[in-house]
Amino acid sequence: MGFLSAEEKGLVNGLWGKVNVDEVGGEALGRLLVVYPWTQRFFQSFGDLSSADAIMSNSKVKAHGKKVLNSFSDGLKNIDDLKGAFAKLSELHCDKLHVDPENFRLLGNVLVCVLAHHFGHDFNPQVQAAFQKVVAGVANALAHKYH
Amino acid sequence: MLSAQERAHVAQVWDLIAGHEAAFGAELLLRLFTVYPSTKIYFKHLGVCPDEAQLLTHGQRLLEAVGVAVQHTDHLRAALSPLADLHAQVLRVDPANFPLLIQCFHVMLASHLQGEFTVQMQAAWDKFLTEVAMVLTEKYQ
Repeated sequence: MGFLSAEEKGLVNGLWGKVNVDEVGGEALGRLLVVYPWTQRFFQSFGDLSSADAIMSNSKVKAHGKKVLNSFSDGLKNIDDLKGAFAKLSELHCDKLHVDPENFRLLGNVLVCVLAHHFGHDFNPQVQAAFQKVVAGVANALAHKYH
Repeated sequence: MLSAQERAHVAQVWDLIAGHEAAFGAELLLRLFTVYPSTKIYFKHLGVCPDEAQLLTHGQRLLEAVGVAVQHTDHLRAALSPLADLHAQVLRVDPANFPLLIQCFHVMLASHLQGEFTVQMQAAWDKFLTEVAMVLTEKYQ
């Protein structure tokens, strides 16, 4: 068995196919910055982050969220080799961006909340479990090259 | 410490839960056990596979305690002191587990309430539950 069971892969791909990756990206990043305000430390150049409304409507937040989630989505295509898929990005986040890997876990959790928000009752415990596994896997992959 | 605005958001969240403590509590526990199976070790008394009745009973107890905390955001330590004693002396739930429960709480609220569970409400609710967890584990050492 790979990283996910066949059933979990089915649940993840089934739901992910219905996700508007661009929109969900912006929402997830925005939520991260509102719910865990210390994460704003990485986005000093993003302009107005002074309130929840400002953050959620900030165009740089939306653009960056879109970029981040498209990366995540690409990574999902290599679900059985997340470390390989995210190796370059891991180096970037360590060497250039200096992002504490704890932030990957926080963003992963927020992403799961946003999916629950969008899919309502369809986001049942089994679906949540599969996605939490995925986001944990991606977070670990992004932390893997840290030194 | 919660600001007045944050306390208002916490009250808003509670308004959506009150009256449905058993149902929400049961789902919270089900999500916790499904997503983070290691948390089941703290609930051995519910058996290997807790049934719906057990989840409803225990879930209700859990959420009623959250309700007490909501009514006493200004004096959490005093209001939760007996529960803090229980967690320190009897239950001894490793503090690392509380963020797992909190995550499941957010996901549950988001899936049930969707648009009604705003980002401001999530921020305040997270801060509040984190404070509750801190109070419950304060007497551990």
